[in-house]
Amino acid sequence: MATSVYLSSPGLEINNVDLTDQCTAASITYTVEALENTAFGSTARTYTAGLANNSITVTLYQSYAATETEASIYALVGTTTTIELSPTVAGLTTPSATAPKYTLTGAYLESHTPINASLGELSTIDLTFTGGTLTKATS
Amino acid sequence: MYVIVSPRLGTPGDKFEPTDGINVQALIDGGLISTDKPKKSSKVKAEPEQE
Repeated sequence: MATSVYLSSPGLEINNVDLTDQCTAASITYTVEALENTAFGSTARTYTAGLANNSITVTLYQSYAATETEASIYALVGTTTTIELSPTVAGLTTPSATAPKYTLTGAYLESHTPINASLGELSTIDLTFTGGTLTKATS
Repeated sequence: MYVIVSPRLGTPGDKFEPTDGINVQALIDGGLISTDKPKKSSKVKAEPEQE
């Protein structure tokens, strides 16, 4: 059976800011909550779709330089924004079937760790954007 | 009107036109874009001629 693999190097924009070169990990969780509608007479539990509950988690190198990570993220805490993520950088501008662009609109950033430092290590931050509407573009 | 400051958004100096869902205030607070202030005219008005 043929397989298809790709080198993990996604393109990332947070609030229209390209932070690809600061990103080391990214994941999208596409969730539609399951509401149980099992009733008397059923022989197995059944479910129907509830509300979407999506999230995007990213890991970024921290940088306090002008217009870098901290400047891009700090003011987003407690607000909603848009995040764009694609398996490739090119997919951000020209999405395709093999490089789709996922956009989470109206995602809320609850928290941020402005300082996350350990001796002898590069500082990174983990951000989780929750809620909002997820769309997938292939063209 | 907004002007791009950071190359992470595009070419610095170009107009920035936010799409729906973009948090413009956060971009301003972070110094990634600026608000374009109207430029003052460099022309000096001539004084009215006296009769």
